[in-house]
Amino acid sequence: MSLIQCNNLSKHYPNKLALDNINLSLDAGAPIALVGPNGAGKTTLFSLLCGYIQPTQGSLTILGHAPGSKALQGVLSALPQDAELDPHFTIASQLQFFATLQGFSQADAKQEALRVLALVDLAESAQAKPKSLSHGMSKRVSIAQALIGSPSIVLLDEPTAGLDPANAKKIRQIVKDLSNDTTFLISSHNLDELEKLCDQVVYLEQGKLQQSVSIKASQATDFITLTMQVCDMDSLHQQLLGLNQVIEVKRSGDEQYVIEYQKQRNFELEQQILSLLAEKQWRYKAILKGRTLEETLFS
Amino acid sequence: MQHVTPPSGLSHIGLLAKYELTKRFTNKSGMVALIAFMLIWAILLLYPIKSASEFIMGPNFRSFTEALFGPGSLQHLFEWPVAEFAVFWLAALYLFPMFSIFIAADQFSSDKQRGSLRFLTLRVSRGSLFFGRFAGQMLIQLSLIILTLLATIAMVLTRDMSLFIPSLTTSLLVMVNLFIVVLPYTAAMALLSLHANSARQASIFAIILWALVSIIIGLINFKFPQLSGLNMILPGSQISSMINTQGLGSLAYSPIPLLQTVVILGLGYLLMKRSAL
Repeated sequence: MSLIQCNNLSKHYPNKLALDNINLSLDAGAPIALVGPNGAGKTTLFSLLCGYIQPTQGSLTILGHAPGSKALQGVLSALPQDAELDPHFTIASQLQFFATLQGFSQADAKQEALRVLALVDLAESAQAKPKSLSHGMSKRVSIAQALIGSPSIVLLDEPTAGLDPANAKKIRQIVKDLSNDTTFLISSHNLDELEKLCDQVVYLEQGKLQQSVSIKASQATDFITLTMQVCDMDSLHQQLLGLNQVIEVKRSGDEQYVIEYQKQRNFELEQQILSLLAEKQWRYKAILKGRTLEETLFS
Repeated sequence: MQHVTPPSGLSHIGLLAKYELTKRFTNKSGMVALIAFMLIWAILLLYPIKSASEFIMGPNFRSFTEALFGPGSLQHLFEWPVAEFAVFWLAALYLFPMFSIFIAADQFSSDKQRGSLRFLTLRVSRGSLFFGRFAGQMLIQLSLIILTLLATIAMVLTRDMSLFIPSLTTSLLVMVNLFIVVLPYTAAMALLSLHANSARQASIFAIILWALVSIIIGLINFKFPQLSGLNMILPGSQISSMINTQGLGSLAYSPIPLLQTVVILGLGYLLMKRSAL
C-alpha cells in the first residue's frame, strides 16, 4: 500500500489555483523531499495531507485512509507552518496534553513530553512558556510535538528555516536517526539539506507536479561534480572531455563542472581526473560523486 | 518506542473538556475573570439579593405588587421556599447568559488565529474538538453556577440555619435550570468563535446577531402576527416567561433552549468540519 496517493488532486483558492491535477504515489522508507519555489503549492499539499483544508477536486489517501480520519491519529504527525502553541501555558504541559490525546497515561505523557523535548535539546525549557522562546526554539518545540508517540509519518514544513546552523544540523540528525521507523516528508528551499537527507524528491512548480525523482536511482550513467579553485576552466573542459568513459561535461556555475560518464565499478575516472589535476597543477576544491540536487532538478 | 492506542472520540471529548476547565482555573487571565465574576456576585449577594429578600418577606410587599402589576402576575415570586433564591433567580436568569457571551467567546478564535488548532486536529477529530471545547465551557459555567449557589446558601444560613435543606433542594433545581438556560448561548458562542478572529470579535458578533435577529423577528411579528412563535428561534427568548416560575415549573421551558442548542451545535459542527484551519 502506498504511503501517500494523490489522484487528480486540485486545490483552488478564490484567486489562485494552488494545486493543479496532481497525480503522485509515494512509498514509505527514506525521507522524501518536497521542493519548489515560493507559491508552488508545497504548503497547500501539506495542509491537504494533514486534513487542514479540503481538496477542490480529486482524492488523497495516506496509508489508504482519508486525511483527518481516526485511523491516522497518532500515525501521522506534522510541523505545520506558522502554528504556535498557546502562550499562556508551559511547553511541557501542552506537549503532555497532546500525548494524553494520543493515548498516553498522565505519567507516561509527562515522560514522553520530556523525551521529545530532549530530542531537540530543549529539556531545560520544559517549564518555559512559548512567549519566552526565540523563533528557533519555538520551531524546535513544534518539531518536538510532531515526534510525540513516534508516529509512522511526519510531515515537516520548512523544519530548519530560521534555525542556526548548529540546530539545523541537530534537526537533520534527528531525521536521520528516526528515519528507520518513521517516513519523513520534508518541504524546504535548502536543497543541500534535502540532498543529505532524502532519496525521493517531489518537485512542484506553479501548482503542478514537475518531477518525482529518486536521487539514488540506478541508471546506466553516473555523475561526478568537480569544483575547482583557480584554473583555466576552458582548458579543463577540453581535457575532461578527452578522458575515457566521459559522455558529457557541463559547466555549472563559475568553478564547477558536472561530468556524466558510463557507470563503472572501479575508480578509474576519479584516478584519471586526479592525475590530470596533478599534472596541470590545477587545484580543486571538491570532488562529489553524483550531482547536487539542484543539478538533478534543474539541469 | 512506545505504541499507544488513541482514545475513542468520546474520551477525547472528556479530555478536552477537562483541559478547558483546568485552563480556565489555572491561568492568570482566567483567574482575573473569575475574581471579577466573584466580586460582582458578592456585591449582588450582599446588597440587592440580601436586602430585596428581606423586603419580599415583608407583609406589605405582596399587596403592593398586586396593586401595581395585577393579582397573580408575580405570584410565583412568593412561592419560593427561601426568599433569597427568588431574587437570585431574577438576577441569574439574565446575568448568566450575559456572562456566557463573554466567558465562552474564545472557544476557537484565538487558537485558530495562531494555528494551535492544527496541533490538536492531528490528534483528535474535528467533531471531538468542537464538542469537547463546548463541553469544557459548560463545565466552567456549571462550576460558576454552583459557586454562586453555594455563596447564596451560606448567606441564607447566616439568617436562618433551619433553611439548609430547602436551600439545597432549591439550589439543585435552580442549577439545572440555569445550566439549560446557558446551553444555547454557549453553543452560539462556539459557532461564532469559529468564525471570528478574536474573542472580542465573537462577542461583538453575538451582540449584533442578537440585536439584528430581535429586530427582524419584531418586524415580522408586526407584519404577520400569526408568526409569533418565530421569536423562539432566538436563544433566551423564554427567559422573560421564566421569571415568574420556580422549581420544577421552570423546567417546562427547557425544551426551547435544548432544541436551540441541538440546532446551533449541529450548525457549528458542520462549520467546524468545513473550516480551513
